[in-house]
Amino acid sequence: MKRNRLYFVLFLALLAGYSYVLLEINMRVLHHSFTPCIFKNMTGIACPSCGVTRSIVLLTSGNLTSAVLMNPLGLIVAAAMLIIPFWLLYDVAFKKDTLYFAYKRTEQALRIKWVAISLTIVVLMNWTWNIYKGL
Amino acid sequence: MDSQKIDMFLMMNAKYFHTKHLNYIRERLTIADDSKWAMIQSADLKDPTTSLIVSIFAGSLGIDRFIIGDVGLGVGKLLTCGGLGIWTIVDWFLISDATKAKNMEKLQMFL
Repeated sequence: MKRNRLYFVLFLALLAGYSYVLLEINMRVLHHSFTPCIFKNMTGIACPSCGVTRSIVLLTSGNLTSAVLMNPLGLIVAAAMLIIPFWLLYDVAFKKDTLYFAYKRTEQALRIKWVAISLTIVVLMNWTWNIYKGL
Repeated sequence: MDSQKIDMFLMMNAKYFHTKHLNYIRERLTIADDSKWAMIQSADLKDPTTSLIVSIFAGSLGIDRFIIGDVGLGVGKLLTCGGLGIWTIVDWFLISDATKAKNMEKLQMFL
């Protein structure tokens, strides 16, 4: 993937992520139990990342422990959503590509066999926990 | 490179690439040195049909993206449950083109 394309995709993803979190916070007030997740609506069980939004919403109100208990992946996504906008702005403003190289390096690191296998196991364990919790 | 070898390569591997790229591949292979033949043969090309099947069944976990080598996008897809299912559906239509583009990238390293 080329640099500009990656930055455009990241921008769109951030926009979608932030608007979804804001929407969810406002809907929480009205106590809706609606989910747009097709996986959950079709199969009835939670997917590996089910509860990430709820986890982020809990984080915004300062409940760190309940956020981790909801879904630990929420912390990673929240960190990415906090850091990447500034990194993106920095790169675009100063015409650099530090974020692009970081992305490439992360991709290469994730291709190493034992890293990939251990991360897969962690995600699968998290998924079983999600189903057990009945998210 | 020998035109017979090139014809054989293109016949065997035409389905892995965009049709518009085939002429370019033929041109580059004609110029290419014979010593690159072994490497070109061993390039790890992915079948677009396989990735489409994987995309249909495991797209919401991002496994299709992992398989073709887009690890970054795969992680993104996994963490958002396939972009809440929307990205999954979009990828059913994009994944075979993406696979072909990735194959071209892999071959490009040797050309």
